[in-house]
Amino acid sequence: MKFSIVIHGAPWSANAALSALRFTEAALECGHEIVRLFFYQDGASNGSSLCVPPQDEIDIPGQWQALIKKHEIDAVVCAASALKRGILDKAEADRYEKNAHSLLTGFSVSGLGQLIDACGQSDRVVSFVI
Amino acid sequence: MPSSFQTHASQSYLIIARSSPYVSQQARAALDIALTAAAFEQTVSIVFMDAGLMQLLKGQQADAADMKNIGKIITALKLYEVNRILVHQESVDKHNLDPAEFVEAVEVVTGDEIKGLIAAADQVMVF
Repeated sequence: MKFSIVIHGAPWSANAALSALRFTEAALECGHEIVRLFFYQDGASNGSSLCVPPQDEIDIPGQWQALIKKHEIDAVVCAASALKRGILDKAEADRYEKNAHSLLTGFSVSGLGQLIDACGQSDRVVSFVI
Repeated sequence: MPSSFQTHASQSYLIIARSSPYVSQQARAALDIALTAAAFEQTVSIVFMDAGLMQLLKGQQADAADMKNIGKIITALKLYEVNRILVHQESVDKHNLDPAEFVEAVEVVTGDEIKGLIAAADQVMVF
């Protein structure tokens, strides 16, 4: 089955991100296809390259990044959500004259249209909100 | 990079708006999805229930909260061809509201009717 996953929660402020990560891993292990990960609202923070979790705590952005790389998953961070939370790729950091960029390699920034597109391509769209 | 937008058969979306307008970004997020889906020529219905009904009240002073006026965004939904704007009967009754006083004309539907809409929609998103 083709799944798309929508992540609404920031890595450590809600269970949504970790639940979504585990669901995505399980879906892949069961042989399903992930059409797209879409990080919306606070979920955009999952794409931050600047998170430094304590060593005895899970590194959720790092685990997303590894999963995305291993399975070549299309991972999109909502542009409007990301910009206001300081999640910028190099091009946007340059465009807005910011002194750093902060998007993890493997993620891309795009618009809400990519969520609608993912819905059209997927058998199921699963949202992780809380 | 994500693939560019591909053409698909139009899907039906049911957006369920349950959050009050100015305590979080949820109301805005729901409306953004509704408007985007409609812009991509999907069939979109939005149902307001529970505290989400407060999004429909006239006279919202969003400036006081330094936020965008949710009521004004709602009045743009039909312009962008969000096909149906619905409110949950039981929530209207609970809050003792009059749908004639909302910022936009709405259809009043019961909880049972919403169950049917959820079952019939291709995509259901709750905010």
